[in-house]
Parts: sequence; structure tokens; C-alpha cells
Amino acid sequence: MFNFFVKYFGILKVVPFAAQLFDTQLRLWELLTLSPVPKYIDDIEGEVLRWPGVDKSIHKYGGLQFNFNGRELGHIHSNGLLDLRFSRAIKEKLLAEGRATEHHIFKKSGWISFYIRDYSDALYALELLKRAFLQNSGRL
Amino acid sequence: MNEVFTPKRLGFLVPHVFAMAVIGLTKYTWVESGVLVFSEFIIVPVVMGIISAWFWRKLALPGRKLSLFVIYNTFIAAFASAVFLGEGSICLLIVSPLIFGFMVMGAFMGAGMFKRNNQKLNVSVIAALMFIFVADSLSTHHYENMVSDTITVNAPPDKVWPNVVAFKRIKQPNKYWLFRIGMPSPVESTVTGYYEGAGRKCIFSNGYIFDERIAAYQPGVNLTFDVTHQPRDPEIMNHIDILRGQFLLKDNHDGTTTLTGNSWYRLYVFPVWYYDIWAESITRNVHLRVMEHIKELSEVGVDSLESKVLSQK
Repeated sequence: MFNFFVKYFGILKVVPFAAQLFDTQLRLWELLTLSPVPKYIDDIEGEVLRWPGVDKSIHKYGGLQFNFNGRELGHIHSNGLLDLRFSRAIKEKLLAEGRATEHHIFKKSGWISFYIRDYSDALYALELLKRAFLQNSGRL
Repeated sequence: MNEVFTPKRLGFLVPHVFAMAVIGLTKYTWVESGVLVFSEFIIVPVVMGIISAWFWRKLALPGRKLSLFVIYNTFIAAFASAVFLGEGSICLLIVSPLIFGFMVMGAFMGAGMFKRNNQKLNVSVIAALMFIFVADSLSTHHYENMVSDTITVNAPPDKVWPNVVAFKRIKQPNKYWLFRIGMPSPVESTVTGYYEGAGRKCIFSNGYIFDERIAAYQPGVNLTFDVTHQPRDPEIMNHIDILRGQFLLKDNHDGTTTLTGNSWYRLYVFPVWYYDIWAESITRNVHLRVMEHIKELSEVGVDSLESKVLSQK
């Protein structure tokens, strides 16, 4: 459903607040269906915000965005879709691990996508965010 | 007293007092009568979210809990709208995702604003929202649209036509989900005569009657009618006026007829990019329910009211 909307109605993201409104509907759906995803996102948020220099903001296309010294590390849409930006070399390595996929829109970039569905996905998402943090803080 | 009005509870109370005051003010002052402008569904919920975030700022709510609190606030808003504005349950069901969306946006914006405690930013955001609200409230709001649907009937136009003008009660169960949960659907149509200027009535499942006047009567080709009176009801119909309806018949010269149903309506709720999706969907399903019934009557050769009248002459 998410991919369908992004594919056919993605153009609407230029309309102010349209993408954020869409993300709120994803959030509503996850909450009403008692999905564990919002809790995983909260847990990830709690952990990531403990890292030095990291803060959060609302992503311009909806969702929770993590920043390191003002630079975006990645963001999680409310349906549990984590998008992260890496160097091309790290991206290739992560794709080879077989869990993350090409970014759902920007395939020819360093961006990757990963769906958080269960607890093990949440742990892997945290690992990916840690790698993005280490890369951006010059420790990787 | 402080134990009753805790910050958490105030976050569930004050936004609604604010919203009712603003909507009451616009309703009885400068906004055109009966019109609900887009600011009332966008700016007001955003500010409600910001107000809630202000009261909840020390609770350090994680995203999931903040969203759940906003869901509670959406229910409270729906309840207050039903009590004070007389809105119907289906209407509230339609509006709730929009209210939730913008309220949750406001709550997250507010959480960010009050965390940074940047007064200049906060004043700018509130001033910008107020400016949009006032500008929108003072603007003229007028939106009309037309919905068109077509089906093929396996009968020639002379057999279809009598069932278009008036038809017996629809007994088929409803398929459209909004009709199934209680929204009135069309069930019967009657006429006072078979000529231009005659009166026509479209009767709905809950007894509502749309009074119409036949504006064009071209047997086998065109039936157009203007709606002269329609019910005022909390469920949708208070926010939309059906202006005109039309059935066009096209002979396909193979024993079938292309039947087109057109409806013109005016919306009194904004933003149209949200409500028109619903208005189109509802109008389309009204068309389809009637047109499928006409198709069924025409294809089984059920005697129409007109043929009975004509045979009596």
C-alpha cells in the first residue's frame, strides 16, 4: 500500500504538508491495528537520542528524522520504513548482507531502505543507525 | 484544584475549549453561513495539537504515547462536534482522519517548539497560523463539481427510458460501505407527470425526499432535473447541495443502451482536496445504485410506471 501511494501519488509531496499528513495516516493505521512498530520506533528513538550530538526533527516527507550536528542520519516513516544514507561502498556491503534494500525511490544513490516489522528488525535498524552515526561522526 | 487540572488533563481539555470558541466565533461572525472553511479542519487542529504539546511538554511523551493521546483528543473533538455542532456519526467518521492528521502534526511541531524553547520561532509559527486562519475565513468559498458515470444496459433506449424517469423501490442490498453503515441511499423515484416541468421525487432509505423539477424531457435521450428542495441532515447532506441530475441515453444500435448519469453538486466544506474525494465517491455510488437498478429493471422487462400510465391512457 505504501509503495502504491508513493509510486502513483508521490508527486503530491510537493503540496505543503501532504506527505506529513500521509505519514500521520500511516501512524494512525499502525496504532489502530495494535502494531508493535510504533513501540519499536519509540525504543529506537530513545536509544539513538542518547548518542552524542544526535537530535531529532520531523522529516520533510513525514516521519521521525535523526540528525547528527544538523546533518541527517536517516529517518523512519510511521509504517516502520527506515531510510538511511551511506557511502556507496557501505551501501553495497549492506545490500550484500541481504536485509536492507535499495532505497524505495532513490535507487542510484547511497540511500537504503529497511522495513522494521519485528523485534529482530528493530535491533538491525538500530545497528544500521549506529553505522550511519559512526560514518557521519568520522568514526567509521 | 491543581490535582484536578493536571497538565495531562489540561492537554485534553483546553484544546477543545479553544476549538469550540474559534469555530463558534467564525460560525456566528464572518464566515459565510453553513460553510466550514479549510482552516477549521487544518489550522485549528494544528493549534490544538500545539496547545496539547504545551501542557504535555514536561511529560516527555514518546511518539507512540503522544499519538495515542492525540487519538483520544480526536474522539473528544468528535464527541464535542456531535453535541455542540450537531454533526452526524458518518460525517465525523469522514472528518476524523483529517483532524487526527493535523492534530498529531501540531502535537509533534509543538513538542519540537517547546523543547527548543525558542520564543521567536514559537511566536512566528503561531502568527503565521493565525494569519492563514483569518485570511481563509475572510475569503469567499465556492466550489461546484460534476460527477459522471456510465453503464451499458442490455436493452434498447425505449425500454430503458421509462425506468429512468421513475422506478420502483430498490430491494437489492447495498454494496457501498458507507450505505451499509447507515448513510441514506436512494431507493425510489416518483414523478407527477411525464413532461418538462413535472415534479419528481427521489426518495432515500431513511425517508428523505429530494424534490426535483424536470428541466429537460426528451424521451429515450435526455432526462435532466433540477433539485428544488433537499433535506437538511447532520449526515453529510448539510455540507453538500445536489444542484442538478441528468440521465443521458445513447442508442448503440445493437439492442443495448449506454446510460450516463451526471450529478452537479456544491460543497460547503473545505479543503476540497479532501472532501471532494468523499463527495465524488458518495455521488458515484448513488449513481451506480440507481443505474444498476434501472439496468436490472430494463433487462428483465419489468413494466415501468410510465408504461402503466401510458397503457391506461
